Amino acid sequence: MRMIVKEDRKSVVAWAIAFVLAALWLLIALLPFLYMVMNSFKGQFEMLVSGVFSLPEALNFDNYVAVINGGFLGYLLRSIIVTSVSLAGMVLISAFASYPLSRMKFKLRGFLYGLIIACMSIPMHVTLIPVFKMTTASGLYDTLWALPGPYVAFAIPMSVFILANFMKGIPVEIEQAAEIDGCGKYRTFFEIIIPLSKAGISTLCIYNGITFWNEFAFVKTLTQSVKAQTLPMAINNFKGEHSVNIPVILAVLALSALPMIIMFCILQDKLVKGMTAGSVKG
Amino acid sequence: MVNRQPTLSLQQRRKRSTAVAATWFLAPALILMVIYIAYPVVETFHISLYTWNGISPDRTFIGWGNWETLLQDSRFWQAFINNIKIMVLSILIQIPIGFLLATFLDADSKKFNLFKVVWFLPLLMSSVAIGFLFQYALATNGGLISTISNLLGGKNIDLLGSPDRALYTVIGVIAWQYIPFYMVYFLAGYSGFDDQIYEAALIDGASRSTFIKVIGMPMMKPTIISACIMSLIGSLKYFDLVFVMTGGGPGYATDIMATYMYSTSFKYFKMGYGSTIAAGMFILITAIAVLVRRVLTGKEER
Amino acid sequence: MKFGKMVAILLSILMLIAAIPMAATAETLTLSEEPITLTLWDIATEDPQKSISDAAVQRFMDAYPNVTVEVTHTQNDAYKEKLIIAMSSGQCPDIYIHWGGGPMNEYINSGFAADITELFETYNTVDFLPSAIEQCKYNDKMYAIPYGGIGGCGIFYNKTIFAEIGVEVPTTIAELEAVCDKLVAAGYVPFSLANGSKWTGSMYFMYLATRFGGTEAFAKAVEGTGSFTDEAFMYAASTIQDWVGKGYFPEGVNSLSTDDGQDRQLIYQQKAAMMLHGSWQARSMEADQADWYKANIGYFAFPALEGSTYPQNIVVGTSIGNGFSFNCDGEKLKAAFILATQFFNDDIYNQAQLDANTIPSIVGMGDTIQDQCMQQIWADFSAAPQVQLWYDQYLPPEVGEKHKDLCQDIFGLTMTPLEANQALQDAMAAYNK
Repeated sequence: MRMIVKEDRKSVVAWAIAFVLAALWLLIALLPFLYMVMNSFKGQFEMLVSGVFSLPEALNFDNYVAVINGGFLGYLLRSIIVTSVSLAGMVLISAFASYPLSRMKFKLRGFLYGLIIACMSIPMHVTLIPVFKMTTASGLYDTLWALPGPYVAFAIPMSVFILANFMKGIPVEIEQAAEIDGCGKYRTFFEIIIPLSKAGISTLCIYNGITFWNEFAFVKTLTQSVKAQTLPMAINNFKGEHSVNIPVILAVLALSALPMIIMFCILQDKLVKGMTAGSVKG
Repeated sequence: MVNRQPTLSLQQRRKRSTAVAATWFLAPALILMVIYIAYPVVETFHISLYTWNGISPDRTFIGWGNWETLLQDSRFWQAFINNIKIMVLSILIQIPIGFLLATFLDADSKKFNLFKVVWFLPLLMSSVAIGFLFQYALATNGGLISTISNLLGGKNIDLLGSPDRALYTVIGVIAWQYIPFYMVYFLAGYSGFDDQIYEAALIDGASRSTFIKVIGMPMMKPTIISACIMSLIGSLKYFDLVFVMTGGGPGYATDIMATYMYSTSFKYFKMGYGSTIAAGMFILITAIAVLVRRVLTGKEER
Repeated sequence: MKFGKMVAILLSILMLIAAIPMAATAETLTLSEEPITLTLWDIATEDPQKSISDAAVQRFMDAYPNVTVEVTHTQNDAYKEKLIIAMSSGQCPDIYIHWGGGPMNEYINSGFAADITELFETYNTVDFLPSAIEQCKYNDKMYAIPYGGIGGCGIFYNKTIFAEIGVEVPTTIAELEAVCDKLVAAGYVPFSLANGSKWTGSMYFMYLATRFGGTEAFAKAVEGTGSFTDEAFMYAASTIQDWVGKGYFPEGVNSLSTDDGQDRQLIYQQKAAMMLHGSWQARSMEADQADWYKANIGYFAFPALEGSTYPQNIVVGTSIGNGFSFNCDGEKLKAAFILATQFFNDDIYNQAQLDANTIPSIVGMGDTIQDQCMQQIWADFSAAPQVQLWYDQYLPPEVGEKHKDLCQDIFGLTMTPLEANQALQDAMAAYNK
């Protein structure tokens, strides 16, 4: 572990300042989340009268009960399925694609890499109508399986961009050594490249996991019955034409964030381990 | 195959096997992208040549008409400038702060686990919740910023409702949401370092700050560059929070290319022109991304 | 068999005779026995609207076992986009709701709304408000069946605050301004307005223009025989800016969002005394806190402008909460028509709507409503010689959106009245070409 070796006065001051700033940032990051949870315990009238920034009068779980009785667990399950399927697909496919783009020399490499990166700049909303048409034509419309396809496809450009960058950093010697040992391209990929890219992959999982989890535009367009919808659509169940019960929606949002926080803690732990185990010792 | 061409040198064979392997590795990604991205993009360019309300079975071919309109559309170019402002400020705010947070955490990631999890929270919150909470936090009367201003003896401050400040306010909120991403990204970048380098540097008597300056930053350069590119592209096609918080208002003060495209396509019943805006966005963003990437990395790659 | 036939003929003659007094209204529409499946899209995601809609469909399916209706409820914000995507991909539902106005005309022009003029003239049994029928027409043909309920807008006010500072309900704009001045002096914000949502501020503009120039000024400006730079609109825009200057609206008016409840918050916190808003606010406020709402909130129509020669009791709003349009023909269209007129809009449906503080667009329907604000809204609506449809719904979609965007410039004082109205006129002229 990296430790502070020189404990001279200068570094103590530096650390003190760093900690003050860190604590300040802690507050900035935490407060909105805290308010979200706090207001989810209020009634709508109470929240509007006493203001968003006051403590709730009582720990009132009515909103949470309403949310859970409103089919929350079904939405949760479907979200877990869609997110994990999409994540698995995304990791596999973008790792596959990143490997040759970062570590092989072939004719179209520059062109293909450029093409994939250009796809990062596509505004998602223009694809809604074509994707809708394809989904209805393929019979996937209004099923859970309509979602992983577009999710993975839209995650690939950025994932490849990040992962190819990571893989570039792996020293060539390791790969050459493996080749001399008789490893084929495929074994090298699974046994050397993937384990060494762990940190990059977990970053991808964190970022894309959140994106898939909160994704709204596609699920809104490609599904219409509850049996095919994920958590972001649950919010709509508590929204009327003109009136919105905000505390209930905050309860939905707080409950939806919980699995992601747990996920993050686990993956972060992996990332930390990756730091020591995955670091290149040559 | 090899038997038929005995003259193939080892190098050539290797080249060919590399090409075959590359094809297999790339195939799934390319197939998926052709289906879900390439086809819609071609379709978008195609529709941009028509006048079409988006729903009618009839559409009128008008050639480059929409493109000529786009070139002279002051609202589009104003939106583009707003996007550029978001881009520049996002890179200037998000990446340095993300880098600092990651550097802090990297000093001792176990001890600072609480910091890491809490700092990460903003990225987790959905745009709906962020939009709602900041709507209240930034309220002119009774919001947090106004309250602080009042405590310091100032007046109430109208942030989201003021054409001069609304865009910067939204940029601030976007930064708040995305800084954790760059934090995690840089943290992963740090993890690629060999601990031995750091230890060696310490033995040589380097302080942490000199280590970051002399060794850390240069080693992180590729990571920082790719973070800049991501932030750049992300800000140029940004949609979410602007749509939720201001809808492009007041007036067109926070109107950006994606919100303009969305309104044109889905609210004004002008899908043809909306597609032109989208295609124009695609061209502009790609051009800027390629250009910036050349400038940032060009020297080394060539 | 002969005898049977005779009886049948006799019976039908008898029935015809019996039906004569009613024949003035409608004939009975019959369906064949063939199995039919209808898809229906609406926006009733939340109770009570959701159960009211589901119940109507269920009653229909019980009465016509050969018909299956597949209902999809989609939340308002997502609905319009979803409908466009479905239409553009040839997946338009058989029955769908809309808000009338400009978008409805687009649906009709694109071939997604069947002409139901004949069906309606022959078979309709519901005594819809004339203004509601008018809103379902385009080029003198009928394309939709009203349902949902009327939505006028007017001023909700805090009775307690009015009593406290000793003012009466104003009947003229001059009196309204006097009330506002007193409220400002007493430390209240006269009007709660969340104009981040844009259409909320449009209500002030519409009422002021309509009080000054009737529905005529607007109709002329749309046709192109008049202009949005005419006096009526100049009066509206400059009065609003005058009121902004006098502090009649909350600070940061363009930043507040009605979707997030920031306008009702000012009312509930008793910081603001009045709120010009749609009649559905009665429902929302009652849902938030019924006792408080009943004890404190009253309603009055937007006051009259002295000296104007136009009727001063025109209501701004809509006579149809929503319309059902039909993208089908033959037996399916007949079935859809029966569903829309006889099951939505029947007694059970209407009573359920009334209980939910919504007044169906049917003659005499609001007479029994309990809620005090709604009683007043209904009285005003019934007495109104005309209903001025929301500008943003009446105008072609692009111009309507422009109008809403400009409302922020007017309230934010970032444009002069002339600049704003000229910009709207330019958009209108560009559309008319």
